[in-house]
Amino acid sequence: MRAPFFEFGAFGNYGALLAAVFIGVAFGWCLERAGMGSARKLAGQFYLTDLTVFKVMFSAIITAMLGAFWLGRLGFLDLSRVYVPETFLMPQLVGGLVFGVGFVIGGLCPGTSCVAAATGRGDGAMLLGGMFTGVLLTGLVFRPLEHFYMSTSRGAFTVPQLLHVPYGVGVAIVVSVGLAGFRVAEMVERRSATSQVS
Amino acid sequence: MNHRRSAEGAPYSNPYLTGAGLGLVLLAAFVVMGRGLGASGAFASSAAGAVAIVSPDRAHASSLFAGYLSADGGPWLEWLIFEIVGVSIGGVLSAWLAGRLHFEVERGPRISRRSRLFSAFAGGGVMGLGAVLARGCTSGQALTGGALLSVGSWLFMIGAFAAAYIVAPFVRRAWL
Amino acid sequence: MSSNDNDRLVRRLGILAAALALAAVFAGSPYAAQHGQIDVAALAHAVAHEDDHVDAIELAGWIKDRRSDLRVIDVRSREEYDSYHVPTAEHVLLDALATTPFRAGETIVVYSEGGAHAAQAWVFLRARGYDKVFFLRGGLYEWLDQVMSPGLSANAPAKDSAAFKPIAELSRYFGGVPQARAEGPSSTSSLVLKVRRRGC
Repeated sequence: MRAPFFEFGAFGNYGALLAAVFIGVAFGWCLERAGMGSARKLAGQFYLTDLTVFKVMFSAIITAMLGAFWLGRLGFLDLSRVYVPETFLMPQLVGGLVFGVGFVIGGLCPGTSCVAAATGRGDGAMLLGGMFTGVLLTGLVFRPLEHFYMSTSRGAFTVPQLLHVPYGVGVAIVVSVGLAGFRVAEMVERRSATSQVS
Repeated sequence: MNHRRSAEGAPYSNPYLTGAGLGLVLLAAFVVMGRGLGASGAFASSAAGAVAIVSPDRAHASSLFAGYLSADGGPWLEWLIFEIVGVSIGGVLSAWLAGRLHFEVERGPRISRRSRLFSAFAGGGVMGLGAVLARGCTSGQALTGGALLSVGSWLFMIGAFAAAYIVAPFVRRAWL
Repeated sequence: MSSNDNDRLVRRLGILAAALALAAVFAGSPYAAQHGQIDVAALAHAVAHEDDHVDAIELAGWIKDRRSDLRVIDVRSREEYDSYHVPTAEHVLLDALATTPFRAGETIVVYSEGGAHAAQAWVFLRARGYDKVFFLRGGLYEWLDQVMSPGLSANAPAKDSAAFKPIAELSRYFGGVPQARAEGPSSTSSLVLKVRRRGC
């Protein structure tokens, strides 16, 4: 059977929604296992006391990225049928900056807030409510934002395309940054721990 | 101080191994669905649906909501909504088995419960705006787009981390 | 699993990742060679029954409705796209269309300057297995003519005037200028001047 299974008609829309639940369960499980449902743990990233966010995120990115590359290269996965989020340079940069401000104030992101709320964390529930409200209000006053929202589009634009290098080189760059980052993260955490003790 | 364990319950799992597991879940989504994970989209779609119940005209007037309303199956049969329900279930399952299921308002030692709840709401609101502009959040853009090497997603990630680090000193009292 | 076992496993996974990454550098493209399937009978049938294209008015209506499954693709050069493009259109070069991902249920409308390249793109996308693909037969010129500066002759019968009303409204939505024309060629808008080239 060719992959992505859904794209090649292995099942229909209702099957897709069922798959969504199962995939979500696995997603939520991993998040909670790593402690990402804990706002204090997540916030630690930005005070350099607990770099779990970086470790989990980059481990996930590296794993999925290498997996996608090799499954594609070996012909098992038709990578061209996997949806690459479109690039809108300015809105995504600005959106990222805004998101980061909210993230360090709130301590959870949308996905982890669901985990937090579901496991009994009142702050998670409030953050969830705040997120819903924020999205709602943004949607209601969307007109003036629309022009900026649609600006600087580049379609499905990958880093290898940007740098004019083969896809595998892009993969190697990300893996290198990640592995080096892990080394640094361990050092930083160790130093932070000893400075706390002394 | 490394928050290795929660207040009660088992210690959290190794971040690298759990992260790799998360990566396999993301990869499974690619292979099964031809798409990645997400979260903020569920909020946008349900917001669109909620507004449409109260005032269909207002909902359709917003090009953001209109997109979700005209989707196959409407705003409530959105893939991400089902996924996020799964996320909640998975989180509860994991927490329950690890003895981490309990009511709590997680906050830093120097902030009151009320302030924390307020800042959680405020932080969520701000993230809502950011996620709309960026067409996603840490799950949809940073994780999914990051793994697929999308330029915009990496820009989002860099922007989010940069802004968080810059603002962190100003909200220190909330966490440390 | 003890902490040491974990660390050892993590270290080994790190080495594995590094090795896979290094190999990726020399492995070539992860995109499968795009062997499309051309069902000649099906494609010919679509062309004969005019199921292969849409006109600009229809496209304009779809865009105005903000159809979430709609993808409008401009296959001209980057400069031409930046200079003017149909609202909500994305820029994808013809050779990139071999690997551009589209979702299963999407409706894809391709246009080029005059329509020839878009017609070729239609064949490529159909060969790749997408079935809701259309192109603008008259290209961007058709859009400019029918949507941005649609004309109604000054002596038109009432029936035509009535039919023209929604078109005029559609045109204004996109910032176009509906025109009452005296007999003769339509006035050349600045947009057409911008677009006019040796076309495809």
